[in-house]
Amino acid sequence: MLKTARPRRRIALAAVCAGMLTSFAGASGELNEQKDTSVAPKVVQLPIRTDGPKSLDPVKGSTTYDNMACVQFYETLLVNKYTDPTAIEPLLLAEMPVSTDGGLTWHFKLKEGVRFHDADCFPGGKGRAVTSDDVFYSIKRLADDAYELENWWLLKDTIKGFDAYKDAQNAAAEFDYDAPVPGFKKISDTEFEIELEQPVYRFLYILSMFQTSIVPREAVEAYGDDFGFKPVGTGPFILDTWVPKQSLTANKNPNYHQVLYPERDEWSRDDRRNRMHRAAGEQVPFVDRIEFTMFPEDQPMWLQFSLGQLGYSQVPEDYFLEAFDKASLELKEDYLRRGIRAQSNMLLDFIFRGFNMEDDLLGGYTEEKKALRQAISLAIDLEEINQTFYNGRTIVYDGPIPPGLRGYPEGGVSDAAYRGPNIPLAKQKLAAAGFPNGEGLPAIRFYTSQSTINVEMAEMVKRQLARINVKFEPIFTDFSSLIEAINKKKAPMFGFAWASDYPDGENNLALFYGPNESPGSNHFNYKRDEYDALYEQILTMEPSEERDAIYAQMRDMVLEDVPYIGSQARQRFYVINPWLLNCKPTERYYSWFKFLDVDDSKR
Amino acid sequence: MWNYILRRTLYNIPVFLAIILVVMAALRVTDPVSAHLGKNASDEQIRLKTEAFGLDKPFHYQYTHFLKQLVTFNFGDDRSWDQDLPVGKMILDAVPPSVAVMGPTLLVTATIAIVVGLISAFNRGRKADKTLMFLAVIGMSISVLVYIILGQYFGAYLPKQNSSAWPFEVAVDASAAGGRWFFFTPSNWVSYCMLPVMINVIVALGYDTRFYRAVMVEETRKDYIRTARAKGASNTRVMFVHMLKNAMIPIITRIMISLPFVVTGSILVEVYFNIPGMGRTLINAVNTKDFPVIQTFTALFAALFIASNILTDVLYALADPRVRLS
Repeated sequence: MLKTARPRRRIALAAVCAGMLTSFAGASGELNEQKDTSVAPKVVQLPIRTDGPKSLDPVKGSTTYDNMACVQFYETLLVNKYTDPTAIEPLLLAEMPVSTDGGLTWHFKLKEGVRFHDADCFPGGKGRAVTSDDVFYSIKRLADDAYELENWWLLKDTIKGFDAYKDAQNAAAEFDYDAPVPGFKKISDTEFEIELEQPVYRFLYILSMFQTSIVPREAVEAYGDDFGFKPVGTGPFILDTWVPKQSLTANKNPNYHQVLYPERDEWSRDDRRNRMHRAAGEQVPFVDRIEFTMFPEDQPMWLQFSLGQLGYSQVPEDYFLEAFDKASLELKEDYLRRGIRAQSNMLLDFIFRGFNMEDDLLGGYTEEKKALRQAISLAIDLEEINQTFYNGRTIVYDGPIPPGLRGYPEGGVSDAAYRGPNIPLAKQKLAAAGFPNGEGLPAIRFYTSQSTINVEMAEMVKRQLARINVKFEPIFTDFSSLIEAINKKKAPMFGFAWASDYPDGENNLALFYGPNESPGSNHFNYKRDEYDALYEQILTMEPSEERDAIYAQMRDMVLEDVPYIGSQARQRFYVINPWLLNCKPTERYYSWFKFLDVDDSKR
Repeated sequence: MWNYILRRTLYNIPVFLAIILVVMAALRVTDPVSAHLGKNASDEQIRLKTEAFGLDKPFHYQYTHFLKQLVTFNFGDDRSWDQDLPVGKMILDAVPPSVAVMGPTLLVTATIAIVVGLISAFNRGRKADKTLMFLAVIGMSISVLVYIILGQYFGAYLPKQNSSAWPFEVAVDASAAGGRWFFFTPSNWVSYCMLPVMINVIVALGYDTRFYRAVMVEETRKDYIRTARAKGASNTRVMFVHMLKNAMIPIITRIMISLPFVVTGSILVEVYFNIPGMGRTLINAVNTKDFPVIQTFTALFAALFIASNILTDVLYALADPRVRLS
């Protein structure tokens, strides 16, 4: 949360004014109630940065923007909490799933009274209640190659017999959605069980991802290829219009099931100070209509926000210093005067420079090999990179687990890390590696994607490494060639980044799990039996102090071996217009738009 | 006349077929499916997409299949890989917004540039000519992006801040979701298209004015101008009747070169003003490596340029009887 500077005297004055205004507003409100018989619909206008979603069919979605659009119409069994997006809670379920056998079999109970939107695919056009069959059907769609298996990776090797079902059905003339999956067990229309191949805790996170949203079979079959343009879900909004690349509008779902705004005590003190709890316990959504405009360029988005035409906006890089003070990262006075509020979030980023652990020069696990990588790490000054290229707005931290997740070291610092700059120690390590003063060490080939910032950044790293006489040879390629070089283990060192798929450090620790080696997500080709055993152990563990300790152990193991140099995580800044209420932007999930409200008197 | 048009069309068919052949071959040099799906795509996903679009079939089959689709303008089940929309529908939806901006742009630019070119040529070497040409050079020297950014800021944002009644909007927003012909109603056109048109006109004016001036200067040296003056024709008559008529061939050439852009749109203006036209659709397709859209749009643009060439030849003959259709 950003702190916004506000002189105390102004607060006192504002409080007096607010009191007076409240009194007047109360009086005039009573008068209005007597006069007005109709209430103007509440409409919230929001931006989507870039061209927006490519489909409104959850199984075809993969981007942030697909997510942002789909979740207005569809819902998942579980969802992130608005008050703490790293935690999950039931959405279409009556309660959190229960497992009595250590996470192998999960028992689910659907919430009563949840109905699909009214649509002509249903008899009489009336949306019906969600059943266990809808859940199975929606999950089975992920396995159907008619949808190009875009999101199959989410459930691969997860549900008992599901992989075999996928192979059999895709090999058959027609995909049979009625064929049984051994891991699916229907108890009743509202209760079911899912048995997994092995206990995997991340399964619950997957059920909160928009690709696993529940869809009605009737709609998919009735609309065919056009289903992606005619969403029929259980969500808080019903699609009105979608003009691809331009706009998306939706109206409130009048039959939305009971979802209440989080209670006061669920909000942090900072949030309560921002009056985030003002609608505690009330049924959502509050607005009658939601209107998204897509902005492939930042200037029109920023200007429309500044005109008060958009509720909130991400702060584009080019406009950051217009709105914020660089040193304090506080909103500038003229923005505060206009009642604009600021909010910042850490992204679940892991930005790093990786080593190929199978490379003859840079790879290996002997003390000499480790010392070489440690020396390189100690010579690189990530803070200088942060200040020069990111205006100091990334967090430099140790380990692969980004800020905000369990396993992130306290203050971002771990004793096991070889974080630079520490030139004397770097020189010692270089000598220990058998290259005193860099003598005899060939140039280090560093693969990265071609862009202006990468070229400039590589120049800085080159200069930093020159301080220990290490020659650095950047190779700039297009992104697909970079991927190819990494996947084929041809890049000795490479620049890359990872954004967590779900808010659990396990997702990042998987990047060092041996069986995930290239072309899998373990681009480092890091392999240590001890690490792999610990990773297999945490897969089945629920969040606990014991699991946190193992996360820390794995993190420090990686830090000691230095298969990468890092890490950095970006910070996203938002500005919020005063007329938009209950707004706490997060990029961990996008179902939170239903909590928004507007105060048109402040426009 | 019709024979001529038919003959020209027939002559251009091999050209078009060759362009399509080159375009299709060029787009297949690297695997378009892998490029589109990116780093996380599995072999299975790549195979499915390849099969779904018929990219696993022999090249000659793909070539004839695509030609058939182009001729009938029926792209069947071919959908954009990025937007999941039928390619034909994407084209039909994107053409009207582009025409709403680029049509008036072409008309206004040509009219102003011809008039300014005439005035400048007629006053060759005098203060008026020098001033106009100085402004034209200045106009040409500034990047299009500068005009757009400043135009959007000073033409819409600042006035709108002072008065909500200001007619120009910063960009097209969600309220504009009113169908394919939304931009053709007068009030919507003024709100969303007029400022982009003005910016486009300013951008193009420098180039066009200098071109038309050069054409007109050439004409002022000709004998018929001296004759017209000797016969007592007024300056206005000399300029707008005698000179203009005789300069029609280069004017037609210039306008017809620009004509396909009425349909293809202007990428930067459409992106900055959120206009869902052809330019924006194409740049989005390029960015996302949306193979079906890129292939179809390229073929369509080739067809437009060929059609524009044929039309130019026909207009030459209409404008100047000395140009024999035979």
